[in-house]
Order: sequence, then structure tokens, then C-alpha cells
Amino acid sequence: MSTGRSSGADPAARRGRAAGLAVVVAALAAVVVFPLFDLLRSAGEAIGDGGVAALRSGGGEAVANSLWTSATATTVAVVVGVGGALLSERVGGRFTGALRVGMVLPLLVPPFVTALGWTRAYGPGGLLDDVAGVTLPGLSGGLGIVAATAAHVAPLVYLVTAAALSTRARPELEWAARASGAGPVGAFRRITLPLLAPAIGGGAALAFVASMNSFGIPAVLGIPAGFPTITTRIFQDLARSASNAAFARVVLLATVLLALVAVVVAATDVATRRADPIRPGASHEPARPPASRAPWARGLAWAYLGFTAGIPVLALALTGLTRAVGLPPSPDNWTLANYAEALRGDFVGPALRTLLLAAAAATAATALGLLLAAVSRRGASRGLATAATLTFAVPGSALAVAVLLAYGPWLRDTLTIILIAYLAKFWALGHRSAVGSIGSIDPDLLRAARASGAGPVTAARRVLLPLLRPAIGAAWLLVFLFGLHELTMSSLLYGPGTATLAVVTLNVQQLGDVTVTAALASILTLPGFVAAIPLLRRRNGRFG
Amino acid sequence: MSPPALRVSDLSVSYGKAAILQQVSVEAGPGEVLALLGPSGSGKTTLLFAVAGFVALDTGTIEIGGTTVAGPGTHLPPERRDAAVVFQSYALWPHLSALETVAFPLRAAGERPEAARAEAARLLDAVGIGPLAGRRPAELSGGQQQRVGLARALARRAGLYLFDEPTAHLDAATREAIQAEIATRRAESGAAAVYATHDAGEALAVADRVALLRDGRIVQAGDPAEVYERPTDRWAAAITGPVSILTVHREDGNVLVGGVRSAASVPGGAEGSVTVAVRPDWAALGGDLPARVAAAWFRGPHSDVVLDTPAGRLSLRVEGRAGVRPGDPAGWSLHRVWPLPD
Amino acid sequence: MPRRAIAIAAVVLAAAGLAGCGGGNGGVVVYTSVTQDTVDLLVSGFTGRNPDTTVDVFRAPTGEIAARIAAEVREGGLQADVLWLTDPLSMQQYEADGLLQTWDPAGAEGIPEAFRTPASWGTRVLNLVIVHRPGLEPAIRTWDDLVRAAGEGGVALPDPGFAGSAFAALGYFALTDGYGMDFYRRLHDAGAVQVAAPGDVVTGVAEGQYAAGITLDFTARTALDKGSPITIVWPDPGAIALHSPIATAKDAGGDGAAFVQYVLSEEGQSLVASSGWQPARPDVPWEVGGPQVTLDWRLAFDRQEELLGEYRAIFGG
Repeated sequence: MSTGRSSGADPAARRGRAAGLAVVVAALAAVVVFPLFDLLRSAGEAIGDGGVAALRSGGGEAVANSLWTSATATTVAVVVGVGGALLSERVGGRFTGALRVGMVLPLLVPPFVTALGWTRAYGPGGLLDDVAGVTLPGLSGGLGIVAATAAHVAPLVYLVTAAALSTRARPELEWAARASGAGPVGAFRRITLPLLAPAIGGGAALAFVASMNSFGIPAVLGIPAGFPTITTRIFQDLARSASNAAFARVVLLATVLLALVAVVVAATDVATRRADPIRPGASHEPARPPASRAPWARGLAWAYLGFTAGIPVLALALTGLTRAVGLPPSPDNWTLANYAEALRGDFVGPALRTLLLAAAAATAATALGLLLAAVSRRGASRGLATAATLTFAVPGSALAVAVLLAYGPWLRDTLTIILIAYLAKFWALGHRSAVGSIGSIDPDLLRAARASGAGPVTAARRVLLPLLRPAIGAAWLLVFLFGLHELTMSSLLYGPGTATLAVVTLNVQQLGDVTVTAALASILTLPGFVAAIPLLRRRNGRFG
Repeated sequence: MSPPALRVSDLSVSYGKAAILQQVSVEAGPGEVLALLGPSGSGKTTLLFAVAGFVALDTGTIEIGGTTVAGPGTHLPPERRDAAVVFQSYALWPHLSALETVAFPLRAAGERPEAARAEAARLLDAVGIGPLAGRRPAELSGGQQQRVGLARALARRAGLYLFDEPTAHLDAATREAIQAEIATRRAESGAAAVYATHDAGEALAVADRVALLRDGRIVQAGDPAEVYERPTDRWAAAITGPVSILTVHREDGNVLVGGVRSAASVPGGAEGSVTVAVRPDWAALGGDLPARVAAAWFRGPHSDVVLDTPAGRLSLRVEGRAGVRPGDPAGWSLHRVWPLPD
Repeated sequence: MPRRAIAIAAVVLAAAGLAGCGGGNGGVVVYTSVTQDTVDLLVSGFTGRNPDTTVDVFRAPTGEIAARIAAEVREGGLQADVLWLTDPLSMQQYEADGLLQTWDPAGAEGIPEAFRTPASWGTRVLNLVIVHRPGLEPAIRTWDDLVRAAGEGGVALPDPGFAGSAFAALGYFALTDGYGMDFYRRLHDAGAVQVAAPGDVVTGVAEGQYAAGITLDFTARTALDKGSPITIVWPDPGAIALHSPIATAKDAGGDGAAFVQYVLSEEGQSLVASSGWQPARPDVPWEVGGPQVTLDWRLAFDRQEELLGEYRAIFGG
């Protein structure tokens, strides 16, 4: 399937494509290849300088912790994500649309804020403690990290599985099994589950990678308990320590993290490539299944969402309203002073900076993603597309360290260096959506434009872009949101005058001022919810 | 007398606020083929799915072979109904080979794996694709996939077969082959069938009874000759085959066109204009009735000639070449009409 | 096409904004871990007097400042003109490393010996006190009473590796007769817990997690004024006083020195007092909350690795 632009037979198109390719290669090299190469080189030097000893002394525990918490969180996330997908795509019912939205919501709240919310909801001195004298054991430490991370990455498994339930494991196939004499369990076990397996595997890999890369949650739930993970160890060594051994450890840990993630991504890629191609069939309107079999299941889903997202956000808002720490969050203790203090302090500058950075990253990522999708439709340049996609999996901590090593000497303490890191990470998002939407456009539409006398650029501009606009718009919004609450990389790359709002909140949290932290964190959640509305309205439809 | 293979009574199905089927009642006798003829969106698939058990009813009952499978307080799941389904989009399982696919219903019925596979191989042979038993759907053409679907349905050994536009995605040659296959297998098994299609020719060919479905309601039901020769209204006339709608003059029971008497007659004595349906084979070139040739299409074995007549535009069929050109005057004769309500 | 032109203009503006919005250039660059309010007050006071000079402030916790300075030194030179820290130990280290200027600011003569070195001077005095749950029986009166409280309801200690003020406690106890590292051992055995920042101690006590803890007087008073249910005690023999030193970087220009001069001036110190901190200069009026003790910072500096090591051996981390 090729667009008119890359047909290759047309000299104007070929020139345009070559130019686009050059831009993409240059950007990829600058933003991804060079930094990662520099990281590996520094890692080699660090090993030569005895960095391995430093790694073992301070990093061994962090690596072990990252691995077991990520593995456990992934397992939980798979159960939750697959269960949720089956609930919303098979059991159905009146609230399916709302359920679909709710399952995806946790992705839009910054994980750092989620973790804060959990401590204010279920930790000592939190909402549950005030109301019922109950706290969740192990919240600070490994178990809390597992639970909060699982809740945060479950939407990834959910999205992949729900899409597969519409495209690969279509309802019709299960009906065919039922009409062939199998009962509901047999049909699920022999037909739906095997067809879902590749999607579940892919979702699990996504979840594992996201868990390994996560920083905000272990920063809030792990650091106070002395429970290091690779990402928080990197943060503490780079941002809180002056010793050379610590710096060597940073470089090596970043490399270790990168290697672990690369192994998982490669293994998953190999395993799922064997999946059978999908034959498109006639799509019917979903016929109504017999009466919903499990009303309790929907109640369970809502309880889960309330527990993981609803109550923590509420607890956070209440804490922000509370006059002083230690007082119960009842209305007579409410005040706006914390919010005032948050806004009065280092707020306006970081807020504006954050908006600017996020917007710039979103624009650049979608533009470059579109360009990459357009030029890499065939041949060797497809490798480029894979390379760009992989950068999303690269751990933010490793990427930040790599960018710092590569560009620190010139761009340290500028917003540009943070932008480079954002671009490297989010390029894949822009590219993914561009590929998906370009693929869905009938190539005949472009051919019709060329046959009507338009050149390749005009055809692209007047036919391709308008059709792509909704998907591009959604991608822009998604990257913008992710940029707004990005913490992992900006906490390692910021300097005087370039702190983002998330970094400011982290610093306030680290200093122990609970009420102002909660106020700031609540403010951080707002853009997520506001910007999410148009995104979620699209999601209300079916998948696939 | 044995119970009908299928009896649907007063069936209504809606999806949300939209009513898909309204008060539908049809029957298929033992061993009969009932064709559901209607355009896309008329509700054929939903009716079939309701009979199969995939869709819940609002009101009405469904009986298969005398057993009530759906109704107030009853809803038998698909695996417990005596019905097999052949899907429009084949619905083959991507991860199973043709052999495993056809063996699936046999295994579900409790047969041992080796016996099931042997029987499945026999069925695949019977539908003409024995050598392809080891292939997966991605390696089969459309026609081959549909044969696998047919064999799978046969493996169910049901008393009622439900065909949801099985030849919709196939080219003309394959379509005929599949239709022939279906007819042969069905005749062998003696089972009844419900055959949904939007193709009039197909419906008339396979059916013992034809039900016309429009926007979720049955417009007319009868045997093929009845719906072809005596459609209840213009819509029914158009859906059941090629037809021309003419406005002729009635006088003493005779049909006049352009003042000239034709050989056709129409009941009722009142003099005046009558709207009638005329099938292509009810008129012929050559005769006293006046017309001018509007178009002539050579189709191979026959030609379609379109005439501009005083009664309206008429399409008729002649064997071989038409021998006339557009613009020529032509005489024609009319020996049969069917009056339509206004 | 006008829309395209607007888009291009927007991109160019954004790029310009990004390029320009990097750290500060020209004027005075200050790295500080002092409270935001206080810093803001002094900066606006200074720029009020010197309207042509811009002041760029990078404010971060102690550890982060240390990491930043180390990274800059590693990469070719300290970027700051003024270091205004809350950790006297780090300042002494930078002095030993030759990063600071030795000079004599006017008005600094009155600052007590314990709060100065040839290259750095205290700007304010912080006091480490005990904060405990209201109505605690029997009452806490001395530092030693903490050991008992640890066994009875839990005690929280701030992390010396995280906050410079916490190290002051370590230095005082370790080097003072009657306490020594044994004090920490007894605390640990009785169940004392280490948290990160002094603010976390106040939070923990206010929310009922701990019975008592060591924290900064200022932090505790702020929470108390807002309404937190806590009680503050200035224990015998005294609150541990530590200072927040300020220094000029070796390569800093006259503006940097001017800023340091301003902070140490009577006006500057009055501003410090007005923001709620005890000024280092004794000639600026201030009411002390009780008896104070100090430690030998030079000795603590010489032995800091050893002390931290012994502390880590007890409390981990």
C-alpha cells in the first residue's frame, strides 16, 4: 500500500522524499543516536574506572527492586487490563462507554500525582485513616509501588486487549464457535483466548517497560522508605550527590536499565511477529447479547476505578484545602491559603515554561512523526520507523542521562535540552498515530488528486492533511498532556530558571510540606482532565 | 404432521432505541428452504442471528423443530439449539486449520479427536477441498474459505441451517459453485434452511418459500412463483426481479397501450388507467403495440431491449441479437400484466 | 496562506523563547537552599537598591545544590556568583577546594566566631528543637528524653545526608560529652526512625505517626501557627544552633560581592528577621526562644566522613 508521494516513479515526489528522509535521519541522529552512543561510551569509561564496584555497592538493590516490582505490577496489570477489556467489549451494558473512558483515565493523571494521592488517601494520616482509622500496610515501599504502578500501567494492557477484541478476536468468531456447539467457556478458551494471546503479550511487554521506566511513583512511595529503584537511584545519585562514584553509578545504571528494556522489547517483537494476518470481514453493528450476565462485574469495575483514581484525587484535593498538617480535612479546617501559597511561590514561571515546552514538544513530535511516516513506507527506511518507535520504550532516566552527556557542555540549564529529551521520547507517539491514520487512507484518493492535476505536495496538503487532521490533532493533544506532566527527564535536566511545574512540585514534596504539595499536585491534575475531554470523546466509540 | 422446522411468531428486536425487526412471523416447513429476500439493512441478518441465539428478543417466540428456543422467559444459548450457521464473512478462526475448524463442532459434540478429524476430512472432501485441509484461512481464497464454513456447518448435523448471504463476497463463477454445493448438501441431509440474500435470482433459485423483508417487516411471503408473478406492491415487484412499471388503459378487462389492444387482460371492469408490473418475459418484440427503441444491450445468450412506449419505459428480453438499434421504431406485443395498488 | 504564516511565526517565536529562556546571563547568579520567602525578600531589597543589576536565583535542596556544583566544577567551572547555603559543612568544603573568595564584608565583624570562616558568614541562625504530640506524658525536657519517647511512641529524625540542618544535630551529639554516637545507638535501639526532611518530622508528629522528633524551630512554628496539633520544646541544655552561610565565588564580579554585602548589612539582616528567622548579626533586634548550644564546625568538618559513616552504620541508608 503506498501513497502517491512515495510511488517513486515521479521525480518531484522522489526529490521531496529524499529531502524528507534527510531531515528525519538528521533529527533521529541528533536526538536519539548521538546521545545513546555517548551514554554507551561513558558507560565503557565508567567500567574502566572501577565503576562496577560503585554499581554493586549502591545499585544492586535498586536493580533487584526494579525487576521484581515491575514483574509483579505487570502481572496484576494484565489481570486488570484483560478483565476490564472483556467487561467493556463483551459483557457490555448501558455503562460501557463510561467504563471505556474510566479504564483509560489513569493514563492521563501524572503518575507522581497518583502516588501522592494514594499516600494522602490510604497512608498514615490520610483520608482513610481520618475516616476509619485504617491504613494500607506496606504503602511506603515495594508493595505500594507495585499497587500504584499496576494501576498506572493497566490501561496499556486494556487498550491493546480491547482493540484486539474488536479486530482479531472478533465477537463473530466466538459466535461461530457457539453455533458449532461450544459453550461460553469452551468458546472463550479455544477461540478467543488463543486469538488474544499476541495482544496480551504485547500489552504485558508495554506494561513491563512502562513499570521499569517509572520514576514518579517510586519517588513518592519508595524514597521515604529507603526502597530504591533504578530510576530513583539515578535521580538521587545525579541530583543529590556530589561524589564521583555516584556519577559513575548513574551512567552504568542508565545503561543497565536501557539493556533490560531493550531485551524485553526485542523478545516481544520476535514473539508477536508470528501473529496471523487479519482478514477484514463485513462489519455488522454489534447485535445485543442476551441479558448482561454479570451485573456484579460492572460494580467491581467502578469500585476499582474509585479506589485507584477517584479517592486518591479527592484525598489530594482535600489535603490541599486543609489548613495545617495533622488536622482532619473537615470543612471547618478548609482554607485556600495553601493554594494561594502555591500560586504565590515559584509557580507562574514554571507553569508558563511547562506549557511552552509541552506545546513545542507536541508540535515537533507530530510534525516529525508525520514526516517519518510519510518517508519510511517502504524498503530500508522502514528500519528508521522501528528506531523511532523504540525510543518510546527507552527509559526516561537513561535518555535524560544520555542527552545530558551528549549536549550538557553546550545546552546545560536551557529549556532546549529538555525539549530534545521530550522530542526523543515522544516522537514515537506522533509517528504511531501518523502511521495508523495514513494506513487507513485509501491510496486511490491521492491518485485521484494527482490525476486531477495536483503535484505531490499539493495533493498531500489538500487531500492527505485534512483527512489526517483528527488523528494528528489527537496525537498532538496526547503528547501535549504527556509533556505537561513529564517528571522523569525534567527532574534530571533542569537548571536555574528551567524548572517545570512537575519538578517544582517534586521539590516541594521532598521538603516535606504536605499541604502545599497537595495543592500544587491538584493544580497539576487539572490540565490533564480538561485536555482529556476531547480525547476521551473519541474513545467513546469502538476500538480497532 | 411433523412440526415446522422453524416457526417465528411476532418477533420484535430492537437495538437501543432503533427497532430492527417488528412483528415478524415466518415459517419453514420440514425440509424446506425459506429465503429471506431484502436489501441491506432490512434486518435479514438480525432475524437469522435471533434464530441462531446471538441476539435477544424484545417480544415474540421462536420454535425450532417444535422446540421453543426463545420467548418470554426462555432463551436457549446457541450451542443448545438445533441450528448451524454459515456466515457472510466466513467467520473462520485464523489460528485453526481447515481440518481443525471443521472438526470443532464434532469435538464439541463429544467425539474423540481422531474420529472427529477423520469425519472432518470426509466433509472437506465432500465440499471439494480435501487437499487443502491443512491450510489456515489466510492461505485460502474466498470461495475456499466459504466451503470450509459450509463444511463446518455440516459437521454440526443440525436440523436447521442458517445461511447469512453466503455468496455476498464471491465472484459470479464461485457464487454459482457455492450455491450448487449448498443445494447438493442440503438435498442429501434433508434439513431445512433459512437463506438470507439480497439477490432475487438466488432467492428464487434456492427457495421453497420466499419472504420479502423491508425495514424489519415482512411485506410478502409465498412460493417463488407467487412472489415473482404476483408481487403485492411496487417495492415487492422491484425486489423480486427485473420489472417494468407501466401505466396502461383498461377497457372491458382488456389492456390497451397507445389505443391498441394487447393480448393481456386484467380483472375489473372499470374503464381507466391501471398501473401494472410487466416482467421482461411477459412482452416480446414484434406486434402491433407502438414503441421506439431506447437502448439495446447484447448480453451473449440474450439481449435486453429497452423500449419507450406510450405506457412507459419497458425492458424486455430477446434471444440472441436484438436486431434493432436505438431510435428505431419497433412493434411489440404484451401477453401478461400484473396490476399493482397505487 | 495566512494560516501557514501564523504557524511559522509561532514556531519561530517559540524557538526564540526557548533559546532565550535558559539560565541567567549578566547580573548575579545565586545558588541557594534558603527558604524561598526569605530569598525573595532579600533579592527584591537588593534590586531595589541596585535597579540596574539582575539577580538570578537557583533554589533547590542542599543535596541538589551540592550535585549541581560538583557537576559544574567537573565540567569546567562554577557558574554561580554567590553561594547561600544552609549547610556549613559543604561551605567549608568549597572553601577548602579553593572555590570561594576570602574578603571582609562590612558589618560582618559582629557575627559570632562559631558562625563564620574567612570566606563565609552566617546570615541567619536556625535552631533544632524537639516537637512532640500535645499532652505527651511524662513531658520531654531534655534531649535525652527522646530515647524514652522513642520507646513509647516513636521518634522521627531528619536525614543528615539530605538536610544540612540535620547534620548539625549529628555533629553536636557526636562531639559533645554525655552524648556521643552512643546517643544515636540508643535512639535506634529504642525504635527511632529516620525520615528525609525536617518538614517530614513535623508532618509525622502532627498526623500522629510519631510521638516526637527533631526538627527546625521555624518549620514547627509555621505549622503550629496554621493550627497543627503539635507542641514545641526548647530542650535542655539548649536548642542546637546552626547558621546559613553565604559566600562569594572566586571568579565572581563586584556585583556578587555587593549582594553578599547587602545580605550581611543591617538592612539585609532586618529583612531576614522580618521573614521570621533569627539574624546572624547580634546587633539586629531579635527575641531568642531559649538557650542555645553550638558545635565546633571545624572539628565537625574534619571528621564528617567518619561521623556520617558511623551514623549510616546505625540507621542504614
